[in-house]
Amino acid sequence: MSDPRVTGSIRYAQDIEFEDMLHARILRSPYPHARILRVDTSALPEHVIALTPDDVRGLGHYGCQIKDQTVLALERARFAGDPVAAVAAPTRREAEEALDLIDVEYEELPGVFDVVAALAQNAPLVHERHPISDNDAAYFDMRPQQGTNICHRFRIRHGDIEAGFAQADVIVEETYRTASAQHAAMEPHACTARWHDGRLEVWTGTQTPFNLRMELAGIFGLPEERVRIVCPPMGGAFGAKTFVRCEAIASALARKAGRPVRIVLERSEEWLTLNRHPATIRVRVGARRDGTLVAKQVECLVDTGAYADCGPGVAQKMGFASPGPYRIPHVWVDSYCIYTNLPPNGAFRGYGAMQAIWASERTMDLLAQRLAMDPLELRLKNVLVDGDHYCTGEVMHDVHFAECLTAAAERAGWSRDRRGKGLCVLMKGMQTPSRASIVVAANDDGSFTIHCATAEMGQGAWRSMRLMAAELLGVPVERVHFAEPDTDIAPYDTRTTSSRSTYMMGQALVEAVRQVRENGELGYGEFVSKGGLDPDTGQGIASSHWHQGAGAAEVSVDEETGKFQIVRLHTAIYAGRVVNRAGAELQNEGSMIMGLGTTLFEGITFADGQVTNANLSDYNIPAAGDLPQMSHDLIERAGADIHGLGETALPPVPAATGNALYSLGIHVTELPISAEAVLQAIERRDQRQATHDSKEGAKEGRR
Amino acid sequence: MKIHFKLNGVATEVEADPDEMLLEVLRRDFKLSSVRETCGVGICGACTALVDGAPISTCIFLAALAEGCEITTVEGLGGDHPVQRAFEEAHAFQCGYCTPGMILTVKAFLEENPHPTDEEIKMALGGNLCRCGCYVKIIDAVRRAQLSS
Repeated sequence: MSDPRVTGSIRYAQDIEFEDMLHARILRSPYPHARILRVDTSALPEHVIALTPDDVRGLGHYGCQIKDQTVLALERARFAGDPVAAVAAPTRREAEEALDLIDVEYEELPGVFDVVAALAQNAPLVHERHPISDNDAAYFDMRPQQGTNICHRFRIRHGDIEAGFAQADVIVEETYRTASAQHAAMEPHACTARWHDGRLEVWTGTQTPFNLRMELAGIFGLPEERVRIVCPPMGGAFGAKTFVRCEAIASALARKAGRPVRIVLERSEEWLTLNRHPATIRVRVGARRDGTLVAKQVECLVDTGAYADCGPGVAQKMGFASPGPYRIPHVWVDSYCIYTNLPPNGAFRGYGAMQAIWASERTMDLLAQRLAMDPLELRLKNVLVDGDHYCTGEVMHDVHFAECLTAAAERAGWSRDRRGKGLCVLMKGMQTPSRASIVVAANDDGSFTIHCATAEMGQGAWRSMRLMAAELLGVPVERVHFAEPDTDIAPYDTRTTSSRSTYMMGQALVEAVRQVRENGELGYGEFVSKGGLDPDTGQGIASSHWHQGAGAAEVSVDEETGKFQIVRLHTAIYAGRVVNRAGAELQNEGSMIMGLGTTLFEGITFADGQVTNANLSDYNIPAAGDLPQMSHDLIERAGADIHGLGETALPPVPAATGNALYSLGIHVTELPISAEAVLQAIERRDQRQATHDSKEGAKEGRR
Repeated sequence: MKIHFKLNGVATEVEADPDEMLLEVLRRDFKLSSVRETCGVGICGACTALVDGAPISTCIFLAALAEGCEITTVEGLGGDHPVQRAFEEAHAFQCGYCTPGMILTVKAFLEENPHPTDEEIKMALGGNLCRCGCYVKIIDAVRRAQLSS
């Protein structure tokens, strides 16, 4: 028995200790938008170190795509929860008590709490300017709209949209909304920073060690080599542990204190640190009588909260996911990343694709209904196949949408009876362009050690790397070790996101192993994926390869109350080649279960800009008792590329469930799907039916 | 105040504030990092320890109430307990953060109900959340632990 997760001996970032370490707490603005007039720390006891706006005024700004953040809010707090001061004390309790002794004077300002208000003329501006970041997370051209709350807009222009709709026999149109959600990793954000010999060292649970190193170097005016990031395994991340979270505050406090400082966030602070982007998506799609898609127009309004974070990237990805895996000759997409005075939103498992797929795949069933077609047949008629061009202009290769769909439909017993059942098919891009590099070192005892910056957050990446290396080296996996990522030692990697690591690092590993086998000492391998999209036309390479899948859901509905249950759930995911069987199954099952939460009950609620359910008693996440009958397929092909599996099985759950409800005439447009919304949809359906019946009756009477 | 209890089989004495929770004491004074805070309100089970054999959320259990009790954390199971073996064989974890709490809950549950149905297993796990969503394999681990014990 050795797995440290089972013995409890695994050490997360929150377990890192230094002898003279201090514990920090953050003082946050109670107002969603306010001028900070005065921060008075004079009442603090002498042994408590305080960090105020004056301490950080001279430090650099940061932000992975738009440089809009400072270590603490300086002149203005932009959301209820924006850090305005921080303290470090010998114990957590003393730090907690010190927060009450800081006196801050605010002047409240009007705020904007939804994207529609934020786009209105004369809306208060969350930021005066939107400077583009030099971080390599700003990997695409950004189009900030200065003087508005839009920090990025992304477009796809493919074909002639008006001519396309003119060719359509049937056009359907609908608007969808998805709520904000909280990652709720079991381990909160945690880090410890210390300054040592003029260098900054940070132990932190992060998916993005090199992006973080670059940001901290920029903030403190250091060359990057003078910043060291060490990444212990994380207790879950799901996108939340990316870029700068509490590391800048811990580092600034540690510098002022001259001692190591640890921050472990309180649970409620997680809702004030990073959430999922709520989106409003309008879809209009046209088809010929035989079901051939001819035109699609989509508008995405993406609420990024008070700071852009990677919102521009999410808006871009939502934009290019929204046409769906279909051949459509005329496509027009406008996707906007919009500031509001809400907590910042960022990467969340699915990265904008879930929202786009919810809107796109629900609309496919509206269209099927209007055409009186089987939703499966409609999809199969239009899905992309090898050699097709996507609306970005790229040629599709190694695509298996029809296969995924057919597998999902079969498991659902689609051909026997479609009532209460729904389908969804999806494609999701992988971070493109990006670069991965890896070192394999031969040890004296005949074992090998992998050095790379891929972070472990429970997805099993470290084991997958060891398995791939062992296979290439021809040794048992026990003889291959994985060193905890440390930017002083590991070579550069873009980051551990977008289900890219097994594929990208796997490619880099081939050369590293070849070298180490040749020289018996050390091998280095690198792999680069090239591409990118023009922000004004959406033409280029969106993704060097595509994550692909399909899902089927079956529901049962209590028509008296609107309460419904997902009875059965199936996903079919294209894996190409499975590296780590148990890990792959866990990723699929985990994605599906997270998808259940998104579908059934996960939504952050706000009142006047304040989060009203920032705890796990009011914000529910799935428990064992919530599980339906679940199954999934991992589709493999001999000689195929490895396809990442971290996210693909999440987006089909909400869309397939929505479509299952629609098969019963229950049309819902918002996530999560509440019993109230289902009941209202039942009433609307019954009214339509009654109107229809009375018309038919009148016709009957006239005969 | 001084509190006395048996921790993983060893009689101990510890100094704690009257309003301190057992979670804080186990982590700070005994460096038992398998006992972990997530929700802080007794819902998620990540901070579970066995107090006289029963699973308790230590984040809302006053340390003072442990006086005279026998407390077990996963460190006290020795690493080769049938429930630990079953979790490893079933691959019933991803990040591992919730795993110690899960294992302790399952141990106590199977001692009380050695041959549960799947529905009983799901209900017994109701107080232990896993955000990675490993429930399918956790339920499998409970079945395996039952067979092997």
